[in-house]
Amino acid sequence: MPVSLSIKSLTVEFTSGGYKIRPLNGFSCDGDDGQLMVLLGPSGCGKTTLLSCLAGLLTPTSGSIHFNDEEITGLRGRALATYRRHTVGVVFQAFNLIPSLSARSNVMVPLRLAGASRKAARERATTLLAQVGLSERANYRPGQLSGGQQQRAAIARALVHDPPLVLADEPTAHLDYVQVEGVLRLLRDLARPGRMVVVATHDERITQLADKVVELTPHLPAEQREPREVTLGEGQFVFRQGDPSDLVYVVQSGEVEILREMGDGAEEHVTVIGPGGYFGELGPMLNLPRSASARALSATVLTGCSVQEFRSQRPGHLGQAAAQS
Amino acid sequence: MFEITFADLRYRYRQFLIAVIGAGLVLAMALLLSGLAGGFTAEIDRTVGGVGAQWWVLPDNAHSSITGSEVFPQSDAAVIARSPGVTRAAPLVIVLQQVARIGSQTSNVEVFGVQIGNLGDPAVTAGRPLSGAGQVVTDTGVGAALGTTITVGAMSLRVVGEVTDRSMLGGFPVVYMSLHDAQALAFGGRPLITEVVTRGTPATLPPGLAASGNQAIEQSVLTNLSGAISSINNSKIMMWVVAAMIVAALLYVSALQRVRDFAVLKALGSSSLALFVGLALQAVIVALAAAVFAMIISNFMFGLFKQPVAIPASAFATLPAIAVVVGLIASLVALRRATGADPAAAFG
Ligand SMILES: Nc1ncnc2c1ncn2[C@@H]1O[C@H](COP(=O)(O)OP(=O)(O)O)[C@@H](O)[C@H]1O
Ligand SMILES: [Mg+2]
Repeated sequence: MPVSLSIKSLTVEFTSGGYKIRPLNGFSCDGDDGQLMVLLGPSGCGKTTLLSCLAGLLTPTSGSIHFNDEEITGLRGRALATYRRHTVGVVFQAFNLIPSLSARSNVMVPLRLAGASRKAARERATTLLAQVGLSERANYRPGQLSGGQQQRAAIARALVHDPPLVLADEPTAHLDYVQVEGVLRLLRDLARPGRMVVVATHDERITQLADKVVELTPHLPAEQREPREVTLGEGQFVFRQGDPSDLVYVVQSGEVEILREMGDGAEEHVTVIGPGGYFGELGPMLNLPRSASARALSATVLTGCSVQEFRSQRPGHLGQAAAQS
Repeated sequence: MFEITFADLRYRYRQFLIAVIGAGLVLAMALLLSGLAGGFTAEIDRTVGGVGAQWWVLPDNAHSSITGSEVFPQSDAAVIARSPGVTRAAPLVIVLQQVARIGSQTSNVEVFGVQIGNLGDPAVTAGRPLSGAGQVVTDTGVGAALGTTITVGAMSLRVVGEVTDRSMLGGFPVVYMSLHDAQALAFGGRPLITEVVTRGTPATLPPGLAASGNQAIEQSVLTNLSGAISSINNSKIMMWVVAAMIVAALLYVSALQRVRDFAVLKALGSSSLALFVGLALQAVIVALAAAVFAMIISNFMFGLFKQPVAIPASAFATLPAIAVVVGLIASLVALRRATGADPAAAFG
């Protein structure tokens, strides 16, 4: 059966150290049958968060995920357990094998948990370990296996129920290049009709193998945008904490308050920027989401421009107002 | 799905071994404490039983016990001997907590004055039996060699024979002497006695006297030790608590080490209950192993106590059950680790 994936306006909000952070903010994308999809982005951009949602291990704040026309975010109880067990296979970052068990026993775990007999589980595990080329090392514990071998055992474990959706989080992060090749070849071969493979990584090399690359923090368009003027009334937000960062703003007239939104709904005042001042430069420069919100205190006129544009106009000004980014 | 439970036990065996030894030592102490309490019963059973009587005739009052100090005339012994149903009767003088000097050592002893050749006159295990005044047969616990002289009160007495395992009140050894010597020691030589022992049930007794069986006599002596016995039993419960804490500490540490594993297992379809049952099983196995270890080493730990130690069979029989309870209580510390494990953390 051909598979399909559709993610719509997915938002995940965490409260971390009192602040609200939103690693996923209205994220949308689609995937097709047999695809190897690569989620690309720097550390902290929400790749793992997205995979957790896809795996049915994390409930998003809003938005929807449909896999084969089944709404994943709405699953509860037994349906969710069945989805986790039979629809998704996960290859965790850092392998996450159980250290006390041999490679074979590790592969047997999900089968045994699903009620398979010892014998049946053993046979299936042996077959899968042969598929990933780990037959001779089946009786070794993770501590006695190389990173690549551990990763292959982890892949075998993810495949026990022959899931139509395979998720892999940073599958090459702990491997040297020799091991990387074997693991990538394996993941590439898994993506075939009836299945979809989603790989999260910050390693751009993997994109060469992908059928589809989804960048989690899209770079701004390369062309220089003309500076544009923004007019705001009292109390209107320029941007909210957690929004994707695009422009640097210079205050022409009026006043803008910079504030942090706390997890409990409270606000923490940071500073007020008057005419001639600027804010919001660090986010677009470092490709990070907005770390604070900006709100007009009165009728305000701003000029928004790209980082490059801002740089060319005010050499030496960047970095001074880090707290206001 | 207990493969993981057992594999983890093997994988972390050093850690578990430490807990088995620690909890095992503590449980062995608990066994020895049972033995100490059991020793009180065993010694009085041997000492009272060794007299060979069926009935003990004592002054009839609330305190009638061989540890009491009530006396009555020796002539009553002859009256009791003639009572229908009595086949043998002998007067006894029991004088408790006398100081005996053996060379330069002193020790507290319990004195039994017996009619030579009659009930109460002990069968010796070494030397020869009492044959007259100025002689004693001592329990080996007194530490006096055959042929030496010991002093009890103002009397010098020669050790002619030895008996073993005759003590009272928590290990105080018994010294047997003639009735006359005991009367001289305790009553200035007056013909008074503290009890009459009989074989055959006396149909009538002189006024003011009553007969008790061996069991009742033993119980009345143990009543004197009830404070000590309850302290020992309380200490025993403390030992169980400490054993539970040792197992709990181990389990807590091991659960902390396995936080990631638990998250992964949950992500792979394990339930909180299954995780907890696995942990509880580990705790019970460790506690049971500690119990077995305790049973073995307790045999080598008798020397820790001066008192007679007799571990009752019931203490061995109940220890595994106690171990299971100890393990289950200990496993509660890991309950939150198992139920709180977040499968999403498997990604981290
Ligand atoms: N459970 C959580 N609670 C709070 N913050 C979290 C949690 N999980 C992830 N985050 C934060 O969300 C952001 C995205 O994390 P993650 O999805 O792990 O990024 P990536 O996998 O791309 O490196 C990070 O800033 C991270 O600190
Ligand atoms: Mg990640």
